[in-house]
Amino acid sequence: MSINMASQNMDPEAASSTAALKGNETGGSAAKGSVTKRLQQELMTLMMSGDKGISAFPESDNLFKWIGTIDGAQGTVYEGLRYKLSFEFPSGYPYKAPRVKFITHCFHPNVDDQGFICLDILKDKWSALYDVRSILLSIQSLLGEPNNESPLNTTAAGLWDNQEAFKAHLMSTYEN
Amino acid sequence: MMMESAEIFVSVPQGLPSAWDTVTAALVSPMSNDVTMSDESLSEGLSLLCSNGLGQFLEGWLMETLQVRLTTAMAPEFWAGLKQPENELEEKDRARILLMAFRTLLDRLEPFLGGLEKLGTWQDEGRGGLCGPGTGGLRERAFSIIRAILLFSPSAVLQERILEFYSRTFSVHMSQEGEAGEAEEGGGGPEVGICQGCTVPTHQCWCQEALEQLQELSHILSRLQLLERVSSEAVTSILHKLIEQRMEQHCRGEYESSFLFDFQEWLELVLGWLSRVFASEVGGMGMVPNGTSSGGGVMGQPANAVLQRWRCHMHQFFCRIYVNMRIEELFSIIRDFPESKPAIEDLKFCLERTNQRQQLLTSLKTAFETRLLHPGVHTSDIITVYISAIKALRELDPSMVILQVACQPIRKYLRTREDTVRQIVASLTGDAEGCSDLANELSRADPVTLETQDSEDEGSDPEEWTPDPTDAVTDKTGSKRRSSDIISLLVSIYGSKEIFIDEYRTVLADRLLHQFNYNTAREIRNVELLKLRFGESHMHYCEVMLKDVADSRRINTNIREEESRLAKEEQPPLALSAMILSSEFWPTLKEEKMELPPLASQAMEAYTHRYEKLKAMRTLSWKSHLGSVTLDVELEDRTLTNLTVSPIHAAIILHFQDKSLWTLEDLSVALGVPQEMLRRKLTLWQQQGVLKEEAGGRYSVLETGSSRERPERGVMLIDSDEEGDSNTTTQSEQREEKLQLFWAYIQAMLTNLETMTLERIHSMLRMFVATGPVVTEMDVNELQAFLQRKVRDHQLIVSAGVYRLPKSTN
Repeated sequence: MSINMASQNMDPEAASSTAALKGNETGGSAAKGSVTKRLQQELMTLMMSGDKGISAFPESDNLFKWIGTIDGAQGTVYEGLRYKLSFEFPSGYPYKAPRVKFITHCFHPNVDDQGFICLDILKDKWSALYDVRSILLSIQSLLGEPNNESPLNTTAAGLWDNQEAFKAHLMSTYEN
Repeated sequence: MMMESAEIFVSVPQGLPSAWDTVTAALVSPMSNDVTMSDESLSEGLSLLCSNGLGQFLEGWLMETLQVRLTTAMAPEFWAGLKQPENELEEKDRARILLMAFRTLLDRLEPFLGGLEKLGTWQDEGRGGLCGPGTGGLRERAFSIIRAILLFSPSAVLQERILEFYSRTFSVHMSQEGEAGEAEEGGGGPEVGICQGCTVPTHQCWCQEALEQLQELSHILSRLQLLERVSSEAVTSILHKLIEQRMEQHCRGEYESSFLFDFQEWLELVLGWLSRVFASEVGGMGMVPNGTSSGGGVMGQPANAVLQRWRCHMHQFFCRIYVNMRIEELFSIIRDFPESKPAIEDLKFCLERTNQRQQLLTSLKTAFETRLLHPGVHTSDIITVYISAIKALRELDPSMVILQVACQPIRKYLRTREDTVRQIVASLTGDAEGCSDLANELSRADPVTLETQDSEDEGSDPEEWTPDPTDAVTDKTGSKRRSSDIISLLVSIYGSKEIFIDEYRTVLADRLLHQFNYNTAREIRNVELLKLRFGESHMHYCEVMLKDVADSRRINTNIREEESRLAKEEQPPLALSAMILSSEFWPTLKEEKMELPPLASQAMEAYTHRYEKLKAMRTLSWKSHLGSVTLDVELEDRTLTNLTVSPIHAAIILHFQDKSLWTLEDLSVALGVPQEMLRRKLTLWQQQGVLKEEAGGRYSVLETGSSRERPERGVMLIDSDEEGDSNTTTQSEQREEKLQLFWAYIQAMLTNLETMTLERIHSMLRMFVATGPVVTEMDVNELQAFLQRKVRDHQLIVSAGVYRLPKSTN
């Protein structure tokens, strides 16, 4: 209901300034305008969902670059650790997958030194039905359940079976 | 002749000194008594001098002599004469001394002036081969010398005396022109026996004398070409002082009449005096004995120009002073509008002649901010002043620029008040007390199309005036679109009419639900008027609501009829009338749970049943807590009749019908109402003396009148402690939800971007919290207050102006 009741303290300029912003960024192209709209909508959904441990927000006034945050899930070696990710949305979004990588160094079988992530839904399995929230949730679960068959980081993949040693190495490389 | 004189020159060089003496004596002596005689010898002397090449020195000699005499004798004498008897002089004597001093000066200078004339004439005529700058040039130089020496360092006493003298003659003039006493009301003038002009007992009046003195003084001054020099300052300061004084006395705080004409008349009188001051230049030449040669005709023209110049000056000055004063008072003027309309018209007239719009704008904005826009002022008062401002400023400035710019702060401020829309809507519908302006405005019913902000953007800049840059940023509307329509302006505070229509819908719902008589005549009128304003489509919901009421009435009648046809025993025990609302079209109603007594719920079921038969495929969902119940309470020794109470009160007392003693707890369970609320509701019956509270939270019925029995009343209305009598969700609830949404965004941005300044957060919110129908806006101050609250609740950390989330919350 809160969404439908217009607040009276609305500034008439807010709407127009946002509109102007969109116009500037998208160069007035209708396609890009709809991307903006979609990203706005995703942001709203994410804000309203209230998921714990995942979060994302545009890093500046550019709606096409976001920063995401994932907290390691409870019961995994990543518990208590927080990772920052960067999101870059192509103009073909959501028909093309966003480029997602770790900013925080992440010691993980499917994450390489540059922070690139090996995750199917970010590659060939991408679908326009996914959104920022589902990406974040997928990466969060990937942390606890790596795919050791196609490792990007063989050291991590090798260590994974020994959780104690993995954790020790993880903690020594974790930097925030 | 020439030959002869040449001979004389050659043969009689001794004649030279005497010729010099003759000529110079003729130059500086007072007008010679034997003109013809001396003229001849003069001519001879002059030719002699010229032929010896001495003619050119005459001019130098005359100037030198004048200068020496001035420095050594005349100037000191003049100043001494002016100061002469230092103290203890009456004003009258001082005036005389002033005049005497100038008179003496003129006397002393007269020979030189005569000499100048002569020499000038000779030069003009080229007599004796004399050449030089001529009359005009000589006079010019001589007067420069006089001015330079005499007024090189004028002592203050001259200015004082002149000022005093002019002030006096001014008041004399004014009193004679029938403006008695007005110029100096403070001076005790009106007393009997005191002359209005010179404020001395009548028998000592020297008014006439003063005027004569003025005339003579003016003449002397103009003769010496000192008039402008000596008088201007005094005259200017007198006039300025008087205009200001008059303005203070007559106009300040007085907005209900126009002063322009008065002042115009008064200024004409003043000009009469001015013409006396500068009179000698105009026409006074004839009275002066020696003035024949000074060319009255030539001097007369500039004198008129002088007067004209003074007139312009005075007028301009008046306008400026007037505008200054009115600008200071503009807030009060606006507040008093329309009574203050004359003041606005005057101001408009004067403002067009002075360049003070900017000053007016700045001052008015400040006045609004300091006097109106603070928490101590009720919203309805702000709106009232705003409406007055609209009315007043559209008179003042038909281009509406002043209105638009000066009222910007009001509009901005109103946007931050929660009850603004409610107040505006209330006054639109004529509910607000003392504020019928809007209702009247509405019933004027001009079909004004309300432009939304977007379509107003394409206007052009006002050509005659550009707002200052800070205003220009927010000023998006062009001059063409600038509206002066009060309702449009008020509604556009929020940039959209939807908010108003929503609010109106809420108000309408409240009104319809609070009266149970299905009488909608007034509401229909309002809705029709609003339709003219806002367009049919926007008022559609309201129309449906009104139709619901009408339908309800019909359905009720229908069902009642049906019931009355039933057999006696089948008649329902409760006469129920329903207000049937189409849920899609009405504002969200407050939800309150309550178990109804079987009596009521059965009646409702029966009603629903009949309704379903009447309207297939539809059913009723009862809002059992809304409505009213009329009942009689019969006790052992008394009966309370025709009590109109809310459903919950009725439900409470109905329970006591079966069982006369209830604990709060049991009753709460039976009714399905929280104990706290129940306790509040019970007070009504306690006040009525029907129930009493016993120890242990038990309530029982007072069957017999207690000692403190209250006098019975025919009708006792619903209790007044009802928390907010609105049936719809309140604005603060909506607001709370809005803040919640903001908080989600703020948390998210701080989680991801770590630290942010207030400004950054604000701009991010502006940018991204704009989805779907909610366009939410919060100004920086509001946001800061909100963030500070979060800091106090330890949900946020701020250091050095940067906000971040505490680690623990994640």
